[in-house]
Amino acid sequence: GGAAMKCVIGGAQLRVFGRAIHAIARISDEFWFDPVEKGLALRSVNSSRSAYACVFFSSMFFQQYCWTAVSQPCQEKQLALPCKLIIKVHFNEMLHPILCVNVLERNVEKCSISTSPKDHHVTFQLLCRHGVVKTYNLAFQECDPLQAVFAKHMCPNILKVHSRLLADVMIHFPTSQEEITLSVTPMKVCFRSYTEEDTDFSRTMLTEIQLSPEEFDYFQVGVDSEVTFCLKELRGLLAFSEATSVPVSIHFDRCGKYVPIAFSIEDLLLEASFILATLCEAEKEGHPRLAVGPQSCCLAEHPHIYWGPSAHGVSMGSAFTAAKPHPCWEHCQGTGGFTGKDLQVAKASQIINAQILSQNSYLYKYCVFQFHSLFFGAVSYKKEAIGDTFQSLVTASDTEEDFSTLQSSQVL
Amino acid sequence: GHAVLGPASGQRERYALSLLRAVHFQDYATCFATASGLRVTVEDAKCIQANAFIQAEIFQEFSVQEESVMFRVSLSVLLDCLTIFGTSSLPGTSTALRMCYRGYGHPLMLFLEEGGVVTVCKIHTQEPDELLDFDFCSTKVVNKIILQSEGLREAFAELDMTSEVLQITMSPDKPYFRLSTFGNAGSAHVDYPRDSDLMEAFHCNQTQTNRYKISLLKPSTKALALSCKVSIRTDAQGFLSLQYMIRNEDGQICFVEYYCCPDENITEAEL
Repeated sequence: GGAAMKCVIGGAQLRVFGRAIHAIARISDEFWFDPVEKGLALRSVNSSRSAYACVFFSSMFFQQYCWTAVSQPCQEKQLALPCKLIIKVHFNEMLHPILCVNVLERNVEKCSISTSPKDHHVTFQLLCRHGVVKTYNLAFQECDPLQAVFAKHMCPNILKVHSRLLADVMIHFPTSQEEITLSVTPMKVCFRSYTEEDTDFSRTMLTEIQLSPEEFDYFQVGVDSEVTFCLKELRGLLAFSEATSVPVSIHFDRCGKYVPIAFSIEDLLLEASFILATLCEAEKEGHPRLAVGPQSCCLAEHPHIYWGPSAHGVSMGSAFTAAKPHPCWEHCQGTGGFTGKDLQVAKASQIINAQILSQNSYLYKYCVFQFHSLFFGAVSYKKEAIGDTFQSLVTASDTEEDFSTLQSSQVL
Repeated sequence: GHAVLGPASGQRERYALSLLRAVHFQDYATCFATASGLRVTVEDAKCIQANAFIQAEIFQEFSVQEESVMFRVSLSVLLDCLTIFGTSSLPGTSTALRMCYRGYGHPLMLFLEEGGVVTVCKIHTQEPDELLDFDFCSTKVVNKIILQSEGLREAFAELDMTSEVLQITMSPDKPYFRLSTFGNAGSAHVDYPRDSDLMEAFHCNQTQTNRYKISLLKPSTKALALSCKVSIRTDAQGFLSLQYMIRNEDGQICFVEYYCCPDENITEAEL
């Protein structure tokens, strides 16, 4: 099966679309293009799996949006499988000019995108000045879905601020500054340059900007927190948010092992989430850590992390019954209540035994668990459970027997 | 023969320089001077030929004894000599150029002066090669369009270089004028409608689709960048003529042209 989609972007939305693509391009040079009935989702994850972006344009964003399913015939009493067309698009010499923000803003009057599943092409057609029409037919291959589910509502700290203010803060950090630390208390918010322990402070410029709660459209600090994340990935989102004039929401928790930080914007026409792994200072002191490489997240052969099925319009609970089982997740599915045992399955035997790749970035170490936590966080509504189960994850033994005895456990 | 060109100073000298650069995709060039001016020809692969025409009027003095002189010279060296005082022009200073050629066997002499400093360059000359004759006269032209260069510049700059060919379609019907590439990621097409305000002239009688090696045509981007207008013509065999009109600050006009053979080896291009 497959799906065919055609959409047209015109006017002011071109600028927004171009900036969204640009923001995604800062995460990775390839993105997942996923047209669904309700709109178009673009997703991306970086090679170290420490940053994930998803931008969803509802059908109302477009001047025109048509989506038709080309489904498989029904078998027995099963419902037809949802029709998906998920393709990976690479930024390359050809795509850069098309989707380069400057080109879109200056020269293009309209952009139409259409997919043709039967001959495996996605076509971008740009109507430019002087009547010039540029058509790009990109060959694609369908691929497995990519999506991370993140329970934002479970975060104790939520800040909402206009992108202009955030941009004004970030501009003070030199472009070479890779990571910044956000620390919050109920009284103040502080952004400062992150430095490694061995930094020569006499040769480094450190920047620190403090903001008071009044400067935020919404300010909720449930726990004092200090999290460090990568700035580069954020800059694209800020430019995108400026084009939409929608404020940016920041969701995060206290500093901790598996805590990501989410930057999101949402209005009637679109939703975007940029989820970044964080470094926690406390980690540095004797907490047990598993050094694993980015590709090891329970998907030894699979090139993409599979976190879960599309959650759009589907409640958290039912999402899992529809999930495509992956050996790693199989035994975790459908559990309304989490048990430590379930978690053991998706654990060491898949993770620890996997290859340990190079330590290019501290973020490597956390990415696996960041995204595990995203998934688990969505399922379990008991915060204490998470704490317990992660501990068992860390200390559990990884013998073959453990795994095999769980093979027969029920999938709820 | 004996030829003296010059002086040409300041803006004129830079103009001549840019015309020569617009055809500089090979080391060696053939220079051909007649009373009307200087023609510098560069060829490659027996498939492509570029000519820069520097009119006699660009120079204050231009004399050629005998009907014509012709010699082969290193264009790279010539350009290096012409820019011996540096490539950026400071306000108030200008380079004055004078070129002399005493005839067969003699080197090409360049006299360059800037701010009282004089440089004399002697560049070895060689026997001229036989040049390709594309036999492209107006009676053989099947399709012809004249476009404002501004419209083509972006398209040429963005050409997908992973494609082996540049396919040019010219037709009295849609798509009228189309540039296509077929690269690793897929195909790309840029269409110019006949009623575009970029289109200065549109005379297409027959639908023709021809493919040219993209690596051979890519150097023409330099000429396109300098020009205000370009004429694109094809003949019955699919030979391509690109003529670029390049205007200088004084309103004088010179031409650069590129001729290219169609690529026979490429199989039927897919969408």
